[in-house]
Amino acid sequence: MRTDWIAEIVDRSETGPYMKESDFDLMIVRTIPGLVKRYGLEFDSEVLVPSDDDMADRLYQAGLDLLATTGVYNQSTERRIMLARDEIEEIVAAAPSRVVLGTGKDAVVMQHRGIESIRRCVVHSAPTGTPCTEENHPLILQSCAREPLVDCLGSGSVATYMGRRIIPRTPTEILGARQAASVARDAVSKAGRPGMHINDVATPITAQGKMAAIDAERGLRPSDAFLVAQMVELKTDYDQLSRVPQMQSVGMHIVDLLTPLIGGMGGGAEGTAVVTVAEHLLGTVCYSPSYHIYGHMGLMSVNNTDRMGLWIYALGGQALTRNTPILMIDAIYCRSGPGTTDLLWEVAAGSVATTVSGLHQGGVGCTGGTDTDVYTGLEARFNAQVCHASLGMSREDANGYVLEFLNRYEDRLPDPDRGKPFPELYDVDLLEPTEEWLDMYERVAGEITKLGLDIDGGWKQALQAQ
Amino acid sequence: MAEIPEEIREGLSTALHEGDEEAAESFTRRALDDGVDPLELIKEVLVPTLTEVGENFQEFRIFLPELMLSGEAAKRAGGLLEAAIEAQGKVVTTLGKVVIGTVEGDIHDIGQNIVTSLLSANGFEVVNLGRNVKPSAFLETAESENADIVGMSALMTTTLPMQRRTVKLFEEVGVREKYKLLVGGGAVSERWVNEIGADGFAPDAAAAVELCKSLLGV
Repeated sequence: MRTDWIAEIVDRSETGPYMKESDFDLMIVRTIPGLVKRYGLEFDSEVLVPSDDDMADRLYQAGLDLLATTGVYNQSTERRIMLARDEIEEIVAAAPSRVVLGTGKDAVVMQHRGIESIRRCVVHSAPTGTPCTEENHPLILQSCAREPLVDCLGSGSVATYMGRRIIPRTPTEILGARQAASVARDAVSKAGRPGMHINDVATPITAQGKMAAIDAERGLRPSDAFLVAQMVELKTDYDQLSRVPQMQSVGMHIVDLLTPLIGGMGGGAEGTAVVTVAEHLLGTVCYSPSYHIYGHMGLMSVNNTDRMGLWIYALGGQALTRNTPILMIDAIYCRSGPGTTDLLWEVAAGSVATTVSGLHQGGVGCTGGTDTDVYTGLEARFNAQVCHASLGMSREDANGYVLEFLNRYEDRLPDPDRGKPFPELYDVDLLEPTEEWLDMYERVAGEITKLGLDIDGGWKQALQAQ
Repeated sequence: MAEIPEEIREGLSTALHEGDEEAAESFTRRALDDGVDPLELIKEVLVPTLTEVGENFQEFRIFLPELMLSGEAAKRAGGLLEAAIEAQGKVVTTLGKVVIGTVEGDIHDIGQNIVTSLLSANGFEVVNLGRNVKPSAFLETAESENADIVGMSALMTTTLPMQRRTVKLFEEVGVREKYKLLVGGGAVSERWVNEIGADGFAPDAAAAVELCKSLLGV
């Protein structure tokens, strides 16, 4: 293992075994059922937050086996980057377990959390994977940045620059990237938190677009981050890999983004969990990230708040927490939209399942990221309060809560209420939630409190204990 | 020509459902050895079975691996049957030819791969150009393949403009009316279809198959 590992990844990309991509997909599809069987992995739709340490460890071994068997597919060279099992384990063991995000008074320390840990979650928030209009993007980001329990700001993607559609790999992508970065910088400054960590600028999709957003004054800084994505499943390319040495050179945080698809090449819950573990290991080896975004979602439904999605969060999180030092944030992809109580129940279920399983909080993807401007700072507040109220909770208790929360929205998942866009839920001058949206939030928070979660007191204890 | 024996009908159907390539090949060979008309086997067993597999996937009763492996088994059986049809001096007919790809700049191709599988299962001939496809590549392939439909996928709002650019190229070179131009992907809406002058979009893979059938009147 060495620090210039990325050059070795390029060498292996050039010399590894050639394979048609469709054959690589078939290899994954044919390998996973054997691993699920060999390691005795079993999804139980009534135990969404398992307390089975042995199964978590077996899942980890299955993920490790998968990556060591298939390697990583580089779409640019159509070759497999082969990795030995002990090589993967060695690199993963040396991955960071603690990072400082942001600068000055706004910096936060994100540390490896244990299972059922009392260590507080770092809370990232933004319109996760959600398109925004130029008009509302600044307001939405500001509504998140000004929430006191939000520690880090994410990003939403904007499709236009001064009214024109942004075209990738053209000057408009550069302009759009710089504008989006400037909007994020403004949002944290206006919130009085200029050193807050910004975890990406999502408008550009190419490496050149991302790098154009680096600007100490008006854009992203070394204390911030960009995402480096994996493609489904177990794939990368040179555009993604090329981001790594640049960010390493300027000292920026790298964030590994993985989005395994439930019902995709992994098949059902068990196979997708195996893919999820393997992709965290892939990201650790190929991207040297500070942390990972654990963002699996349904192939058809684009959420992870159904039974399979929650189980994958819980068991996969435990597998990685027990066997690695890595840092993970969730991305709670919901079917519902803001301005509905269903959204809050979905967030609550995701937040409890991930918190007790060792993850930090990465934000909420309303409507599965399909509708425009569907995010507000209020769901970030709610997400933070629920996770802090769940610190130190046992997995058995967490399972009870998750099932109870799921019961409130599960029937409507096939035909969810998509809610309303930001301007209909917030006073856009004062940047405060409307009475209607606030009432919904208070109603659900009140019900959760009655069920036994200390929504008001949890975060206070967490802040005092840090 | 002999009738399809029940054992072969059931065996081949099961092999396709289970994605068992060896069994699919074996039952197909047996059928041909028994003098079954290959066209009948396609019509009576392959098409209805694969349609059912597609429906099962759409309803999430099965997942992508089962769909993919079923497709592989169908390829194995289909290859034998096509060769047998050609040996009879006949032509293999399809419902139509579709050129499909993910537009330039977009690397998300799983959706269009699923559409490809379902279109093939339903009797369309599909030329899948993969991802990051330039407008000119869509055009050249549509012309050289004499396609009926061109399908352009874009997952992200930031890559939608490439669908517009592709439609525009077809208009500029004067071949727009020769093809049905369809768009798809998570970021596409009815409004966008109208804005760029495409012929339609489908919200999911099953709807894409129905749309293609309806546009070609098959």
